[in-house]
Amino acid sequence: MRCHVVTVPGSDYRFFSPTPLSVPATITFNPKSLSFPYRIGGLRVKAAVNDSYVAEASKLSFYELLGIPESGSLLEIKQAYKQLARKYHPDVSPPDRVEEYTKRFIQVQEAYETLSDPRRRAMYDGDMARGIHLAFSARRCYHDDEAIEQKSEWKARWQSQLSELKRRSQAKKNGENLSWAARMRCRRAESSDES
Amino acid sequence: MAEASYTVASDSETIGEDKSSAFPEIAIGIDIGTSQCSVAVWNGSEVELLKNTRNQKIMRSYVTFKDDTPSGGVSSQLSQEHDLLSGATIFNMKRLIGRVDTDPVVHSSKNLPFLVQTLDIGVRPFIAALVNNMWRSTTPEEVLAIFLVELRVMAEAQLKRPIRNVVLTVPVSFSRFQLTRIERACAMAGLHVLRLMPEPTAVALLYGQQQQQSSHDNMGSGSEKIALIFNMGAGYCDVAVTATAGGVSQIKALAGSTIGGEDLLQNMMHYLLPESQTLFKTHGIKEIKSMALLRVATEDAIHRLSSQISVQIDLDLGDGLKINKVINRDEFEEVNRKVFVKCESLIIQCLQDAKVEVEDVNDVIVVGGCSYIPKVKNLVASMFNGKELYNGVNPLEAAVRGAAVEGAVASGINDPFGNLDLLTIQATPLAIGIRADGNNFVPVIPRNTTMPARRDLVFTTCHDNQTEALIIVYEGEEKKAEENHLLGYFKVVGIPEAPKGVPEINVCMDIDAANVLRVLVGVVMPGSRQPTIPIMEVRMPTVDDGHGWCVEALNRKCGNTQDLVTVQKKV
Repeated sequence: MRCHVVTVPGSDYRFFSPTPLSVPATITFNPKSLSFPYRIGGLRVKAAVNDSYVAEASKLSFYELLGIPESGSLLEIKQAYKQLARKYHPDVSPPDRVEEYTKRFIQVQEAYETLSDPRRRAMYDGDMARGIHLAFSARRCYHDDEAIEQKSEWKARWQSQLSELKRRSQAKKNGENLSWAARMRCRRAESSDES
Repeated sequence: MAEASYTVASDSETIGEDKSSAFPEIAIGIDIGTSQCSVAVWNGSEVELLKNTRNQKIMRSYVTFKDDTPSGGVSSQLSQEHDLLSGATIFNMKRLIGRVDTDPVVHSSKNLPFLVQTLDIGVRPFIAALVNNMWRSTTPEEVLAIFLVELRVMAEAQLKRPIRNVVLTVPVSFSRFQLTRIERACAMAGLHVLRLMPEPTAVALLYGQQQQQSSHDNMGSGSEKIALIFNMGAGYCDVAVTATAGGVSQIKALAGSTIGGEDLLQNMMHYLLPESQTLFKTHGIKEIKSMALLRVATEDAIHRLSSQISVQIDLDLGDGLKINKVINRDEFEEVNRKVFVKCESLIIQCLQDAKVEVEDVNDVIVVGGCSYIPKVKNLVASMFNGKELYNGVNPLEAAVRGAAVEGAVASGINDPFGNLDLLTIQATPLAIGIRADGNNFVPVIPRNTTMPARRDLVFTTCHDNQTEALIIVYEGEEKKAEENHLLGYFKVVGIPEAPKGVPEINVCMDIDAANVLRVLVGVVMPGSRQPTIPIMEVRMPTVDDGHGWCVEALNRKCGNTQDLVTVQKKV
């Protein structure tokens, strides 16, 4: 299952690409995407389809969004993210700017998620170097290869921990397969050892 | 019913506006557990748990119906055991709220000592208490509301002010539909829900506050600390991974399931009396008494097994039915092996989702009623290579204390010492998506997405000249659509006639700052920039009780004529 539709919520760009990694040359601009209006609270509808704020922010690179140099370390990225979260998260933003800040928070989150993951950061840097400015959230796609690869990477790391756990529960099971009396004898032996 | 829920929603919105003009009222934190509940409030310098007239901080969650005046565990001085035996006491509502009668959790509640009746067709179960030899019907919302009123009265008496705003803790595995039921119960009790916090995230907030305080004390650099929170109560088991630094707690992952002390209890009851289901099926006065006796005795035995290696159970259930047995801890652990395995898998899943490895976890926090069970503590500790568990929180009070802190933070209270300089960045506990590609659930917002969030995905038609598309929104983790929680459905009409796969149906899901979910759908034809029909925006959930019926009815009515598929290109 491969899907190559990459959408850009809140902005007017969409890219069709075979895989984000392999053939970037085939990325084509497709300007017919939708922009859904944001709104906040109950019935106050904002019908602004062309949102200049989002468009403006999406021109910023992830580094610019976080306000760090491109050489920024993981620690700097984390610190910048937490600092910006304190400013833009709707729980702490001033009531009259919640809507604007919420959008900004989602973008900062996106930047943070990309840059705090070494693989995705490398990909993003590569795209930037090639002059393809994948704007806000351009990487997102259903069942995308990246996510699958990422998963398998994690799977590998987890495999070791899992096998360890399995081994342990196996050992436990063996203990439980002892007959009732045998277990009681074990217990008695143990408790007499203690005393 | 749809109208009623609208009233509730708009009601809370107007209240929200009132609040900004008036002096900020500190919201109280409430933890309504399946079996126990508590209330706490920020008193200006720290969190204080409120006590009832009997000086209890932790109260039992139950309501006894008697002669038209129901009373709950907060105020009533009645002997709970006696009421339990009579069938007049309703409890475990947190397990039943917002569930339909095909739900296995509802089925497992049928041997509670009151009436839980199912028709197995996907409507709400019939629940009733036996009052003066008459079944008085009620609903989980009503029971919770009665209970919440008592909690409110208790808090008002102590704080000497009217209580309006509350922060409630909820299980991670609750669907958005279940959350609306909790909100409904609160509205019935005259309370406005400021926040609904997944239980382990309330603990995470408390932990974040403690970390911040300790880093103030030793002038620490405020480096990031990662904690795993395991919360197992009577009804639910929840896990969270949080990363906290400088007062900002980021919830990296959540995992939850409907397993808890109640399952341990049921397994043990079944072990002690395997034929109990059939014996008590008739729900007569005698059977209810026997059921309740068995329940009370088993619960007591489980409690004692936390400190003893074995317990003696001597029980006379009447009609010559006697149980005389010695149960030891090993037996208890073996009978409940599956529950404990599930606990382990939740922790593994949560760590995996958070992309955190065992060695990276700084603190392991085990809370909830079941944290007193040695097996639970041991299994969590052994997963972290025998790491010592965090001892900075009271296992029964952690969630409500966190809720009280959130109540103060969300009410905009400032603390001169920076103790409320906190922020919790929440994540979605369940994926939200629509039915597509046949009967599959296709997530648009995956689980553990940071909130607020906005994601979209493009779908297309699966028939030539298909002009209508049915959008069925689900929440959950299962691959098959109908195994997830249904949130609502609506139809997109007026799609221009075109070969299948040509129209682009853009489904956008938006969770805003107030945790309100909106589903937006727009249709675009190739070559055009503008949506061909007006964008549809639907606030979810829209389903009401009895939603088990809906999808089946829809399937009968529409077949697959209005289905969607995800857009994909084969390379």
